[in-house]
Amino acid sequence: MLNVLMLGVGQCGNRILDAVNKEAFGGGGAARLAKYYLRPKFPSRVETLAVNTAINDLKELRFTTAKDRLHVPNLHGVGANRNVGKRAFMDNRDLIMGEIEKRGDFDIAFVITSTSGGTGSSFTPLLINELKRQYREITVVTIAILPAREEGSIYLQNAAFCLRELMEVDAEGIILVDNQYMKRFGGDIASAYDKINDMVAKRLLFLIESLDSEMLSVTDLGDFKTVMNGGLRIGTMGFYQADSKNQSIRDAIENSLKPANLLFPAHVADDAARAMIIIQGSREHLDVDEITKEVERLTASAGHVFKGIVVKKGPVKVLSVFTVASAPELESIYSQAARGMQDEKDKRCRARKQLDDAFAHIEDLEEIY
Amino acid sequence: MHIERVLPKMRRLVYLLCFACLLFSILLLASSSGKDDTDESDEITFKDFSLNIGDRVDLGDYRIELIEIQSVRDGLAVVRASKVGGSLDEQRVLLLDSSNSFDGGADHDGITVTVSDIFDEQSARIRIEYKQGLGTPRKHASERPAAALDKPELSVQKSFEKNQMSVGDAVKVTITVKNTGTGQALGIKADDSPPLPEFSYVAGYPPKIKETLDPGESDSAVYVVDAVKDGSIRVPAMTVIYTDSKKNTKSNSSDPFNILINPRSRADLVIEPASMTTIPLDGESLLNISIANRGTASATRIEAEGTVLPSDGLLATGLDKSIFEIKPGEEVNYPARLSGKSPGNYTIRLKVSYDGGDGSVIQEASAQVAVLEREYKYQYLLLIIPVVLIIAWVYRRYKVYKY
Repeated sequence: MLNVLMLGVGQCGNRILDAVNKEAFGGGGAARLAKYYLRPKFPSRVETLAVNTAINDLKELRFTTAKDRLHVPNLHGVGANRNVGKRAFMDNRDLIMGEIEKRGDFDIAFVITSTSGGTGSSFTPLLINELKRQYREITVVTIAILPAREEGSIYLQNAAFCLRELMEVDAEGIILVDNQYMKRFGGDIASAYDKINDMVAKRLLFLIESLDSEMLSVTDLGDFKTVMNGGLRIGTMGFYQADSKNQSIRDAIENSLKPANLLFPAHVADDAARAMIIIQGSREHLDVDEITKEVERLTASAGHVFKGIVVKKGPVKVLSVFTVASAPELESIYSQAARGMQDEKDKRCRARKQLDDAFAHIEDLEEIY
Repeated sequence: MHIERVLPKMRRLVYLLCFACLLFSILLLASSSGKDDTDESDEITFKDFSLNIGDRVDLGDYRIELIEIQSVRDGLAVVRASKVGGSLDEQRVLLLDSSNSFDGGADHDGITVTVSDIFDEQSARIRIEYKQGLGTPRKHASERPAAALDKPELSVQKSFEKNQMSVGDAVKVTITVKNTGTGQALGIKADDSPPLPEFSYVAGYPPKIKETLDPGESDSAVYVVDAVKDGSIRVPAMTVIYTDSKKNTKSNSSDPFNILINPRSRADLVIEPASMTTIPLDGESLLNISIANRGTASATRIEAEGTVLPSDGLLATGLDKSIFEIKPGEEVNYPARLSGKSPGNYTIRLKVSYDGGDGSVIQEASAQVAVLEREYKYQYLLLIIPVVLIIAWVYRRYKVYKY
């Protein structure tokens, strides 16, 4: 059995972790009641821990048990300041690691965090380092959520620096989730975020289940690590569930790789470095030949594709995980972040100059009473 | 009568004597005084004596003795008159207030004796008339002890065994006659009143008493009557008639008294089964039946029978019972075993027949018995426990998620 550690760091990470716990209760509205009479049903041994410096963010969680919520005492959050966040982490490193240590040994850790916030973006790189230092054999995969571009320059700046640090740490890879990209779901902001959270949670659990299942065609943790080590070690996930009218495996695989079903905008044919296709469904729908043909076709563009087939009653579901060799969207983010920072810097200079000019008026004067 | 006749003569004689005395006084004054008084000695006088039997009066040579009182009622007394020398020795029965002349009577130098009063069986007053010349009479009390009285005195007592009784009760009536006198009572006849209408005489009537009872002796007779009518009754006196040895007839009566005859005693059985008995289905219970005699007579030959209505669904054993007797105020209890076979309400009818002293009597009573529906004890726990467990579980889960 796979030992999985899921860490939700910061507000965004906490909420996605809560969504994972909600999915473990079956998801949907039923989970609200199910948590009172069911235990979370994870496919493997999954330990969850929500870490935050803002206690109010922890209080908002609904499906994460109290013992799985760790408040790092630092007033009320770090105010999107990564430097404050880093200091807070270092001050409370033993507390955080001690809480993780209580949960035993793990084969893989998913660190879910927003790259733009304060706590998540500052804690995660340091936390990954600590995990790697403490658990030598652990596979650490970061689920990094990119901010919407209009959320502000600080968030973009945080995302830029956080991503760079995440790339520098000794993690197995990063799975990106782009809030800007996901806003296409429409509706109000809150429901859009809830949908993103649920979507990420569902795909993560599907992945864990796949890695820990007896398959017709096996994909395991090693395969997953290989995929995540490909390209820039940055990847994303696609998912498709066939409807009752069309149970074609080929269509399902293709649909799972379409941009509309990805968490981060990418073109598999052009950008993919390595991929893993996990197919789940009833035996009558699982045509191995057709699967093989489709995987072979994908391999032609993506380099190497691992395939896993899980026989399970129900509609055909396909999860695709792939790493990219190029990420034009990231360049766009960084350039936007740089512009933002430069603008901020210019504004600050202008403001300073104006202030200095204003002060110049009273330079030779004394206060008179 | 003699006195009345004698008195005028004596008055004339006194007048003559006074005249003669006056004449002789003149003569004596004129001549000498040496004449004797023989004329005074011829005067007749009398004297009364109260004598007991045996007492005597000596007068000159005469001796008068009271021998006996023969009959107080008839006024007869026996008096003996004698004279020294034996020329007179006569015993006569004197009639009251009749003068009797002895030795010619007082007119002829004898004596006249009259019984003027008889006090009792032992004493009388006697008047003796005589000429003064005989001397002065002197009484001599008898030195003999007084003869024992021959006087029977019967007391009679009539008594009932009890002063209160009930109609139908047999009661003994005792007649007791006792001679408390000193003489033998003869010819005794006990005269009890005729049967009262409130009684029927069973045996022993009329009571038989000895005809003769010596002093101190008593006799009694018992007869039995049944009270037949209730009420307060005045039992009249009974009389005993007897004679003494002198054939004097006497009588005495008992004191009348009251007795109370209550209405007839009857047994009154009251059946008191337990008011309401509940039995669980397929369970057993005891029904305590109490038969109490609230009457005044014993109930006998008591037969108790019980029936269950409806007959199906309740099994009752021990309802029937035979009891020989229940005395007044007593109570007999016995249990009947009930077994509930089918839920519902049942009636147990108890019928008790007995002899209550006035024929056969039947009493009935009933008891209600409810056989309960099967009770599922603690059934509510089937609901409460899961609810409590769910609430506890939910609360525990709530605490798990409460941060």
